[in-house]
Amino acid sequence: MKLLPHWVSRPALVGLLAALAVGAVLPKVLGLSVYSQNQVTETFLFVAAALAWNWMGGYLGQVSFGHSAMFGLGGFISARVLLALHLPFWMAWVVGGLVAAAYALVWGHPTLRLRGPYFSIATIGVGEATRLVMTYWEDLTGGSSGLSLPITQGLKSELYWWALGLMALVIAASYTLRKSTFGLGLLAIKSDVDAAADVGISPTLMQDIVLLLSGFTVGVCGAFYASYQNFIEPGDMFGFDRSISFVLMAVIGGVGTIIGPALGALVFVMLRQYLIGSYPQLYLGIYGLLLIVVILFEPLGMMGLFFRLARRFGLMRPEVEATLEAKAAVGGAAADPGARGGGAP
Amino acid sequence: MSVILRAEGLSKRFGGLKAVDSVDLELNDGEILGVIGPNGAGKTTLFSMIAGSIPPTSGRVLLEGKVISGGSPRRAVRAGVVRTHQIVRPFQNLTVLENVMVGAIYGKARPLGARERALEVLDFCALRDRAPQLPGGLTLAGRKRLELARALATEPRVLLLDEVIAGVNPAEALQMADLIRSVREKRGLSIILIEHVMPAVMRLSDRVIVLDAGKKIAEGKPQQVVKDPRVVAAYLGESASAAAASQPGSSAPTPATGAVPRSLATPPSNPTPASLPKKGPGGNH
Repeated sequence: MKLLPHWVSRPALVGLLAALAVGAVLPKVLGLSVYSQNQVTETFLFVAAALAWNWMGGYLGQVSFGHSAMFGLGGFISARVLLALHLPFWMAWVVGGLVAAAYALVWGHPTLRLRGPYFSIATIGVGEATRLVMTYWEDLTGGSSGLSLPITQGLKSELYWWALGLMALVIAASYTLRKSTFGLGLLAIKSDVDAAADVGISPTLMQDIVLLLSGFTVGVCGAFYASYQNFIEPGDMFGFDRSISFVLMAVIGGVGTIIGPALGALVFVMLRQYLIGSYPQLYLGIYGLLLIVVILFEPLGMMGLFFRLARRFGLMRPEVEATLEAKAAVGGAAADPGARGGGAP
Repeated sequence: MSVILRAEGLSKRFGGLKAVDSVDLELNDGEILGVIGPNGAGKTTLFSMIAGSIPPTSGRVLLEGKVISGGSPRRAVRAGVVRTHQIVRPFQNLTVLENVMVGAIYGKARPLGARERALEVLDFCALRDRAPQLPGGLTLAGRKRLELARALATEPRVLLLDEVIAGVNPAEALQMADLIRSVREKRGLSIILIEHVMPAVMRLSDRVIVLDAGKKIAEGKPQQVVKDPRVVAAYLGESASAAAASQPGSSAPTPATGAVPRSLATPPSNPTPASLPKKGPGGNH
């Protein structure tokens, strides 16, 4: 194992490769219809986006309600690049991602010094302001009537493989960002930003790096989405429920865990198809209800449930579970309120 | 003895309040310097400026002739000055070992071998067997040692300890005092110590400076400083004798913050106050 850094565990590597293999043979084995295969493509895409959101919201504890800004910007920039320059679509995605990352840094560098709810409120403002500007900026977004991309034969089935690759990269990045020494620094910042600074961490620099990565990835996801949909309009790309959907996926799956948001995205995309079909008026309300239930009863979502079951059936020692939960918890107080005050135990 | 750290005319103004008012300070290599003073005297603000957490309004801090103030804490830590916090601030989401590893990795930006270096520091601070636990499970004394261990892992030259003894029980206070002494002796660090537990300050410090209302009002050997009338007045007010008379038998050997006026009020014939926990030879006074 000398080839790999010390923090890469063999089971994690095997798990990722196995998931990739399953993803690779899935359409053939199940004989998926075109429609179903597209559903899976979209799921992969949102797995990537939810994980990238989690780098900010879960790893740093900076919960963003404005990630639609990067998603939409990535989409429209790449669409414009495709229409104007006829580049290969993956190049346009990278351009979209880069512009989204740059934009993220522009608003994020000043706002990231806010912590907790203050940062979250600022991101709501950023998201909404961006949506309004983009709706009226017709030269870029086509205004409310949106933009259509050229339809290429066979593109959608090709996108399945691109989505699988994108998701694999983002899962690997999620793992690296948590397990590496960089990730240890992020956890320290999440717990206590001043104490982290006092032992030599530069919180500003590290938060900016995470924001850049998150913004880039979500921007690429938006660009991918534009290619996938062939048609995009600002209300959908920059909408507040777009931002909320990233939060929901992460919370349902387990915010702050490595793989939880991926599970959340899976559930989210499946559920949305069903709910939009069956209860088009109610589906947002049902999401709200789901969010409340999860936060009340299992703050770490599906991963929290998984940890709990694993401990119950003796697959995980209680100390290990406690450590995992502490790492995932957003907001230092959640981990152990009694330990903070300095009172004698 | 050579001077390792020097503060020149350090001042910090918060609006109309002069929290620290042109304080000069010299720390010799291998010395333990005590900083005492009543609540609100500016001790912690002084620390924050030396550690780079807040920029001074005027003045500067030099480590071996190199300016370290006015930048970020990172600059001070890289140069070799690190602080601990009065209210312990462990990273609650990291294990004890990981807490110390953060210091080992980021202190000098040296990730290689961080785990081994962190384990060595944990050994030194008697926390090795707690390595895989979360800090929430430690006693307050344990968390104070963790705070110290995390700072030590950054491999500093100068350690700023903000009340690492206050609030723990007498046995733990002695243990902590021994630990601080061995930080100096075995690791060769110079230490500045803010402490309210007077017996500990008296025993540990080679020299003491006294702050009151942001100004340095006295400096010298611990036994001389506590007899200084300006110091007694700062702690107890001008009508100090009345307060002292109301507490004749300071028998309780608890080194708590409340012990300060009592210890200072003990008659000059007995420079080591009654609340000093008994300890074998090897003390500094």
